[in-house]
Amino acid sequence: MNFNLVLLMPEIALTSAAGLAILVDAFSPRGLSRRFLLWIAGGGIAISAALALRLLGTNTSAFNGAIAVDDYAVFFKLLFLAATLLVLLAADTFMEETRHRAEFVGLLLLATTGLMLLAAAMDLITLYISIEISSLSIAFLSAWDKRGLRSTEAGLKYFLLSAMSSAVLLYGMALLYGLTGHTRLDLIATQIGQGPNAALFLALAMLLAGFGFKVSAVPFQMWTPDVYEGAPLPITAFLSVASKAAGFAATVRVLQIALPTSQTDWTVLVAALAAATMTVGNIVALVQTNMKRMLAYSSIAQAGYVLVGVAAASQLGVSAVMFYLLAYTATNLAAFIACIAIFNLTDSEQIGDLRGLRWRSPWLAFALAVSLLSLAGLPPFVGFFAKLYVFWAAADRGLLWLVLVGVVNSAVSLYYYAQVIHDMYITGIGGGEPGVGDPVTTLGPRRPSPGLSTALTLAVIGVLVFGVLSGFFFGIGDVAARTVAR
Amino acid sequence: MPQELPPLYPISLQHGLLLGAALFSIGIAGALTRRNAITILMSIEVMLNGTIVTFVTFARYAPTADLAGQIFSIFIMTVAAAEAAVGLAIVIAVYRLRHTVSVDAVDTLQG
Amino acid sequence: MVASFGPIAMAVVIATIFGLLPLGISRLVAPRKPDSVKNAPYECGVETIGPTMIQFKNHFYLYALIFVIFDVEAVFLFPWAVIFSQLGTLALVEMFVFVGLLLVGYAYAWRKGALDWV
Repeated sequence: MNFNLVLLMPEIALTSAAGLAILVDAFSPRGLSRRFLLWIAGGGIAISAALALRLLGTNTSAFNGAIAVDDYAVFFKLLFLAATLLVLLAADTFMEETRHRAEFVGLLLLATTGLMLLAAAMDLITLYISIEISSLSIAFLSAWDKRGLRSTEAGLKYFLLSAMSSAVLLYGMALLYGLTGHTRLDLIATQIGQGPNAALFLALAMLLAGFGFKVSAVPFQMWTPDVYEGAPLPITAFLSVASKAAGFAATVRVLQIALPTSQTDWTVLVAALAAATMTVGNIVALVQTNMKRMLAYSSIAQAGYVLVGVAAASQLGVSAVMFYLLAYTATNLAAFIACIAIFNLTDSEQIGDLRGLRWRSPWLAFALAVSLLSLAGLPPFVGFFAKLYVFWAAADRGLLWLVLVGVVNSAVSLYYYAQVIHDMYITGIGGGEPGVGDPVTTLGPRRPSPGLSTALTLAVIGVLVFGVLSGFFFGIGDVAARTVAR
Repeated sequence: MPQELPPLYPISLQHGLLLGAALFSIGIAGALTRRNAITILMSIEVMLNGTIVTFVTFARYAPTADLAGQIFSIFIMTVAAAEAAVGLAIVIAVYRLRHTVSVDAVDTLQG
Repeated sequence: MVASFGPIAMAVVIATIFGLLPLGISRLVAPRKPDSVKNAPYECGVETIGPTMIQFKNHFYLYALIFVIFDVEAVFLFPWAVIFSQLGTLALVEMFVFVGLLLVGYAYAWRKGALDWV
């Protein structure tokens, strides 16, 4: 038996930090300050990241092949840890206000552990368990404000739909297991040719439905706007980047390793999902007036672009997906963290209330503008290069129609991103400083907290640096992609 | 060891798969048509039971199957218990605020 | 083959007769003079006050949930107990880690007062 615990140390460290945070909180006196929770969480994340870095280049598997420890997994583990750290920093105002800080930190770390395992899962059992670890934690976190109508509703919706979709995923797994007799992805691939095709197609469709929920691809996206709007904003940020990236990490690994395209042609299916997801996300985003809902539909559309890379089904496609997820994580975190700071300031989630923001807080307006331009895919920012690589990978496989759909969608998306920037920068320019009646000036003077500012600065630096050094980071993804791509 | 007698009505692969598929379909029909959050939760549990039956059947009858299917079913059971705990906790939080658990009445968020 | 079910069928028949016979005899032999007190559904103790189909205090659900979680986790102990002697020390340590994690949850529930009787 091959139980190599050393290979699992990043996850063990994070789980220990979660347990420690909860226990220390439960056993320490009431009046004590709870700042130490942040140190426990930060320390756990740092140790976990250091341990993950040491596993770079190992390229082996643990627990009889159930968990892969390859560069692909390590890449995503580091990505999730960085995202979690930024979310924790950005959540410090939120944590001041909540009563159950230790549980918040603990559940967030456990959700991250689940996502890290999800990126490394080489066995259907591990895959299912890690999906559930993350989904259940996130359902609780979405329902965090248990006296708030919107938060509990978001939690209920996320929970019911995630439970249903994971049941469907599970039935797909059962069919795959029945067809091949194995639950390990690499062993499934060796047997897959012997199965009858109709059942295999059904299994594939059910697997895609389950993963489609996790990454909010159309037509499994119904929960996204409601949960994004209702959940506390730090959780929405976490959900929109880490959870989505982990969903893609698992999708790509399962499709690449267990279901080689020579046996099952899933390219057309994924390409159709990609086209539908991009189009629906962008078109519905056009008419949104609530910033959170707009970003929710925008994140659906972004999932569509990633699916373009998945549909390419090549090593280039996998590296493009990895780079896109890196870019998307930095960019979307910057957008959401800027929104946290702005909503703290203005107490309103309406896009119209951003008018004249550049006079009120130029730094926040700049950060939001940079992240929105990057999401739209404009050149100096990382979003442009991410889209470029994804479309290049698809064109390389002859999916020109999909590239065309993607380019048209990018143009459409520019409209609603630019609308926000227009509101922040141009509106009120004739009269100079906005008047007393304008929404932004009438509101309270809450400064962004130090943690929030740090997180925002880091995320914006990420957007700029990943953009400037896009070739370098794409190269990293390219090396790591070799461990899963066929 | 007593001698193993041939069963009266041999249970075949088809029987197991039919039962599993029937349970899964009943569950999904319930989950999609019912409006009570707790009933939906129960329907989802029925779906999970359908998959458990399918897994165990495959583990017993599929020609190349290993034991992983049986182990999988144990994991599904534990996850289902955790899921019920989380689900009920959230449903109770919703009930305390709204005094109903009908998903139609839980509609503060538009869309 | 079918004959091996014979004893079971006999047991079923005898058990049915054994149950029905006293009821039948008492119905035939016993005198019957019903009155309102005798017809009351509950004849030891006082009459109930208020409706009986009340809602239980929903604090009870916490006990139920904690029970269900710990109960189901025990399922992992059985396969382990059957073969742990062949698995070596690591499996023993692993199971202690598993139970340790459960104890973390238990300690949390205890400290947060989820187990207090109210």
